[in-house]
Amino acid sequence: MTQEKPAQGVGRRDLLKLSAVAGAAIAGASLIGNRTAAAAEELSLKGKRIAISATGTDHFFDLQAYNAQIEEVKRLGGEPIAVDAGRNDGKLVSQLQTLIAQKPDAIVQILGTLSVIDPWLKKARDAGIPVLTVDVGSTHSINNTTSDNWGIGKDLALQLVSDIGGEGNIVVFNGFYGVTPCAIRYDQLVNVVKYFPKVKILEPELRDVIPNTVQDAFTQITALLNKYPEKGLIKAIWSAWDIPQLGATQAVAAAGRNEIRTYGVDGSPEVLQLVADPNSPAGADVAQQPAEIGRTAIQNVAKLLAGQTLPRETYVHALIANKANVNEVTKKLGIG
Amino acid sequence: MSVDIQLAPVIHFEPGAQSFKPSRGGNLAASALRAGSLLAFVAILFVFSLTAPYFLSVGNIGNVLGQSAISGILAIGLTVVLIAGGSNVVTGGIDLSLAANMGLSAAVYATTVQLGYGDAAAVAAALVTGFLIGVVNAAAVVGAGIVPLLATLAVMNIVAGLELVLTQNTVIPASTPLLTALSSSGPLGIPALAYVLLVFTLIAAAIVQYTPAGLRLYAVGEFPDAARAAGLPVRRLVASAFIASGLCGGFAGVLSVSNLSGSTTGSGEMLLPVVVTALLGSVFSRRLVPTVIGTLLSTLFVGFLVNGFQLLNISSVLVSGVQGLLILLVVSATTLLRRQEA
Repeated sequence: MTQEKPAQGVGRRDLLKLSAVAGAAIAGASLIGNRTAAAAEELSLKGKRIAISATGTDHFFDLQAYNAQIEEVKRLGGEPIAVDAGRNDGKLVSQLQTLIAQKPDAIVQILGTLSVIDPWLKKARDAGIPVLTVDVGSTHSINNTTSDNWGIGKDLALQLVSDIGGEGNIVVFNGFYGVTPCAIRYDQLVNVVKYFPKVKILEPELRDVIPNTVQDAFTQITALLNKYPEKGLIKAIWSAWDIPQLGATQAVAAAGRNEIRTYGVDGSPEVLQLVADPNSPAGADVAQQPAEIGRTAIQNVAKLLAGQTLPRETYVHALIANKANVNEVTKKLGIG
Repeated sequence: MSVDIQLAPVIHFEPGAQSFKPSRGGNLAASALRAGSLLAFVAILFVFSLTAPYFLSVGNIGNVLGQSAISGILAIGLTVVLIAGGSNVVTGGIDLSLAANMGLSAAVYATTVQLGYGDAAAVAAALVTGFLIGVVNAAAVVGAGIVPLLATLAVMNIVAGLELVLTQNTVIPASTPLLTALSSSGPLGIPALAYVLLVFTLIAAAIVQYTPAGLRLYAVGEFPDAARAAGLPVRRLVASAFIASGLCGGFAGVLSVSNLSGSTTGSGEMLLPVVVTALLGSVFSRRLVPTVIGTLLSTLFVGFLVNGFQLLNISSVLVSGVQGLLILLVVSATTLLRRQEA
């Protein structure tokens, strides 16, 4: 036994050297990339039924995450049971109830209002079904895959404050404080603004709505611009996601008030295009990587079912796209 | 079935008058349609039970019953209005404010709870909200003489607006002992809401189908002139139908808060499915008229359809298409039958 050890050690070292050489030899691929790819290949969902419950798929983020999850379950050899509630809470609850009766090997919930879904996620756990989430910090979820919303909120707020030179009024859409990521981003904005005494959040705050988010934001901002006709009274418009930002940007442009900048989160392609347009009022958009988030969540399911312990939260890096770097970001996201 | 879209004045069109002397062919076709719709229901259940895993489990059937509770109670409320208002879709009875009513009542319930009141006060507040909406509908239709389609459409907008004002379009969470009891499972592991639906249907059916008051509602809806001539308080009966419907909205609001652990936005989306369910209900009755049991059956039919599609892992996108197709079939069949009878 003791004599064998050195020999084994040498063998392992040789293998490591070989793999390092092989890794370096693959052009254009980083070592880190290879390592995650190798880890993913070992994962399997063969014979597993994985439920994917989406709150809705009418928004770029949900759709990307949802489709990527379905694909990833199939790629790992599992059977996806995918349901989309079309942003209707009643339907979402019914679908979760039926999913619990279907006894899948795991449920992955994408977004949703916490108070609405939480009791049903608890019932799923009580029924012995592992629950994972995307972008919802529920106590009944084993693991939540999400962007680092504290980072997103801080990056966006700092960009905004810096763009307006540290003073002026900002208009805020705060209709979805009940949705955890939106709440975190909003709180980070407030945290940053606190240290810039000349920056004020205009009261009353606006409420973004679903559906008709774009039209509604357009109408609300148009009305607000009429209320504050003087240039300079409003410096920026902030929303926790970028669909209200889309409507707001259109309203600002239509009113010829291009001195106002708009800010949002999610990296919807149409908003990134506006950020890239030097004449558009769109100031910045923090782009999450929804497809990567979706794939990561499913890989977490596979790890969990393989007996691994998951961290409470898995963060997928988000990229802030501003007027200066938007082209690089869209290239990175593969939607350029 | 209230599907004759006829724009001519009522004087030229006496709905249901033919059913006193129905032709034999019409009768046969009617019973064929009735039997056909029941057969279709059973066939769909049969196919699902063979193909969809878990479909026939007690838990799943209980789930469907529980999930149908809110839409079922709204549809039964609408059925009462359909019965009392008569069988013409355009000029007859309809209550478009029901879904918005449920939303506002739910918001009132959740807000009352948030203000620190108990279940009793919150239930009372929700039911009073529904009752008042019913009174406004009744006043607009019976008092001001506005066509129900327009009157309740206007009330729907007012109610939806009030809900927005009250909730600021946000979710208001609520948790009370009653809500917990309603969202938990009862005997046999079947959701409490399922039992609520069954008991509610039984009571409503007993009142509407087996009491003199219920019979008078049918009389008023089918032969308003004859009812008036017979000395029935037509206006009072129609008004009470709208108030009953309003109360159903308030009650559904309470159940909705329990189901969603609070009041949420988007209640208006319930409207069309509820209207469709109530209209479809007629094909499950012997005389092809709106009945409480028929409406329950059509609610469950739609519920099982949605459930079976999910169990079969078929996209939920297809469900609304299938629903629409079914309605179109039913509506055309009954319209053709009526024409035949005439």
